[in-house]
Amino acid sequence: MSLGGATVLCFAGSYAIALALEAARLLGPRRPVMRALGHAFGAAGILAQMVYLAVHPPALASVRGSLLVLSLILAIFYLYGSIHHGRLAWGLFVLPLVLGLVALAELDPDRGADRGPWRAAAGALSGVHFWGAVHGTLLLLAAVGVCVGFIASLMYLFQAYRLKAKALPEEGLGLLSLERLEEMNRRALGWAFPLLTVGVGIGAILLGQHSDPLGGWTDPRVLGACVLWAVFAIVLYLRYGRRRIGARRVALLTIVAFGLLVFTLASTHTLAPGVSR
Amino acid sequence: MKLQVLGWSFRKTRLELRERLAFDEPARLHALAEIGARFDCEAAMLSTCNRVEVYVGRSADEPLPDGDVMTEFVAQRKGILVSDLAPGRYEHQQTDAMRHLFRVAAGLDSLVLGETQVTGQVRLAYELGQRAGSIGPLLHALFQHASVGAGRVRTETGIARGRVSIASVAIEYVRQVFAHFSDKTVLVIGAGKMGGLTLRHLGRLGLGRILVTNRSSEKARTVALSCGGESVPWDQLNDALSAADIVLSTTGASEPVVTEARYRAVRARRGSRTAVILDLAVPRDFDPAVHDGESTWLFNVDDLARVRERTLRDRQRHLGHAEAIIAEEQQRFLSDWLRRRNGPLIARLTEDFEAKRRAVLHQLLGRLNGRLTAADQATIEGAFRLLQNQFLHGPISALAEEMPEGGRHTLREALRRLFRLAE
Repeated sequence: MSLGGATVLCFAGSYAIALALEAARLLGPRRPVMRALGHAFGAAGILAQMVYLAVHPPALASVRGSLLVLSLILAIFYLYGSIHHGRLAWGLFVLPLVLGLVALAELDPDRGADRGPWRAAAGALSGVHFWGAVHGTLLLLAAVGVCVGFIASLMYLFQAYRLKAKALPEEGLGLLSLERLEEMNRRALGWAFPLLTVGVGIGAILLGQHSDPLGGWTDPRVLGACVLWAVFAIVLYLRYGRRRIGARRVALLTIVAFGLLVFTLASTHTLAPGVSR
Repeated sequence: MKLQVLGWSFRKTRLELRERLAFDEPARLHALAEIGARFDCEAAMLSTCNRVEVYVGRSADEPLPDGDVMTEFVAQRKGILVSDLAPGRYEHQQTDAMRHLFRVAAGLDSLVLGETQVTGQVRLAYELGQRAGSIGPLLHALFQHASVGAGRVRTETGIARGRVSIASVAIEYVRQVFAHFSDKTVLVIGAGKMGGLTLRHLGRLGLGRILVTNRSSEKARTVALSCGGESVPWDQLNDALSAADIVLSTTGASEPVVTEARYRAVRARRGSRTAVILDLAVPRDFDPAVHDGESTWLFNVDDLARVRERTLRDRQRHLGHAEAIIAEEQQRFLSDWLRRRNGPLIARLTEDFEAKRRAVLHQLLGRLNGRLTAADQATIEGAFRLLQNQFLHGPISALAEEMPEGGRHTLREALRRLFRLAE
């Protein structure tokens, strides 16, 4: 079977098996071989997804494209974290997000609109296409930050809940300390916000300057990105402003921001009246 | 093989007597050397805060000094009356002694089930025996197998998992909240023993600053001096609570020192900064309502003890599996030991029969020289070899099946067993 035959099922299946192995470690006796197998399946999934994206490169601006690339980056984040923090239940939090993004990508009604090989596309990068690509890339990187912040927030809330109930971590569901998780969230939001700001800024300029086929400021993706930026700004102000809120509330707001992100990514750009696809 | 263990442990011997019985390293080295010289046997001694045990053994089936003799030896060395030692004494022989050592090394006979410190102490007992020259082939093999068994129990069962000391459970909670400690301030309220122990554990994490306060300023200064901290006047407790990230409270107060109302004022000054409070006092020093699950995490003795009890209950579930591993390793030791002991004997027996067979065959073939074909010679050689193997099968099997207790047999009984003869 050639590598070019990699399908969505290949990498999604690998991630699902890695998740199942992670869950099995929680329920049964700990065996190093299961952890190693989980890593192997995770790595296989990443490889298959990279091959798939190379052979069937989707448009970054499309729902499917952004979700698949985002899920790939998070899958790499999972593998790194799982190897680096071997005793923690890393995969139980990250892999469901990865699988969720892949599933969302597959639900995109325009999933047949993949572009040709990257080489041909690269030659077309000029002018508005170039800045459009920069805009899309920055938003994607900001999305990675939001996702990492979301994962850290979920872990934080779970850990806080257990500590509030005064339970100690069980074997297999080890988590980072609250301080470490709060740091992780803070750093993720800290570098995502400037990227989002610049990305939204470029998008706003492009929207204003060009007779875009987009539907203007009421375009769902445009609206979503702007609201996401506003929520980000509020979170950062509340966390670091004069009246600081606690880490738990920051975690909850980060989860809200993640919800907005999913809405933004899952929305397609609507077209201006009279413009056909 | 002869093996025996004599000991005194927390089960039947009170702490004061165990403290008097304890042997430090130099004392153990002398005692072991003397046992070896006086009784001409192998010896090892285990001495911990919960037990003192003397293992003696011989590879040959010759009697060992009995329990009374060894008790007198120990009593003389420690200046204790034999009558004081006799009631709490326990003694095991042969396979029971083996099983006892394996269980002790694996932490199955410990005050806290599954504790792992004792494995290192058993290893130390072996090393001291080596240095004293009292470890021979029997105890060497026995202690090696005990160590392997302990390792298997630890890795293949959950009997050593979780925290069981109050101080270590407390530290575990702190580590679930904080990742860095060099920038943290610890406030110690009171001068209780548990607080000191927990502070020592915390100190290993590399604390930034330690504040100590007590109703008695003298006691506060003493505790601060002992832990490298600063003493804080009692009337500045609120300021200290505002500054501290971790609080250890162990006063002897009969009522809460910090009520919810008092801490509300402290919390207003702290803002959203996280604090972990370890209330190790009985009665409690902190109002439980102080624990809000947002920025203030309060753990008292009940919480810590509950985790400890749950851990111990969980460990009990693994006891059966651990005992099975011990039984396996014990059997492995026995097979290994018998193989080592009987191997040279079997080799000599086989060589002797081989020599006799060749001699008789040589004589026979010499007399029949010229009258036999090569095929006939090969048949006769094969028949003699078959006869030799059948003669040897009985004795070799009987040796392999012999129990380590050995025991004396009459010559008649020995012949019957060796050659599988019916009565």
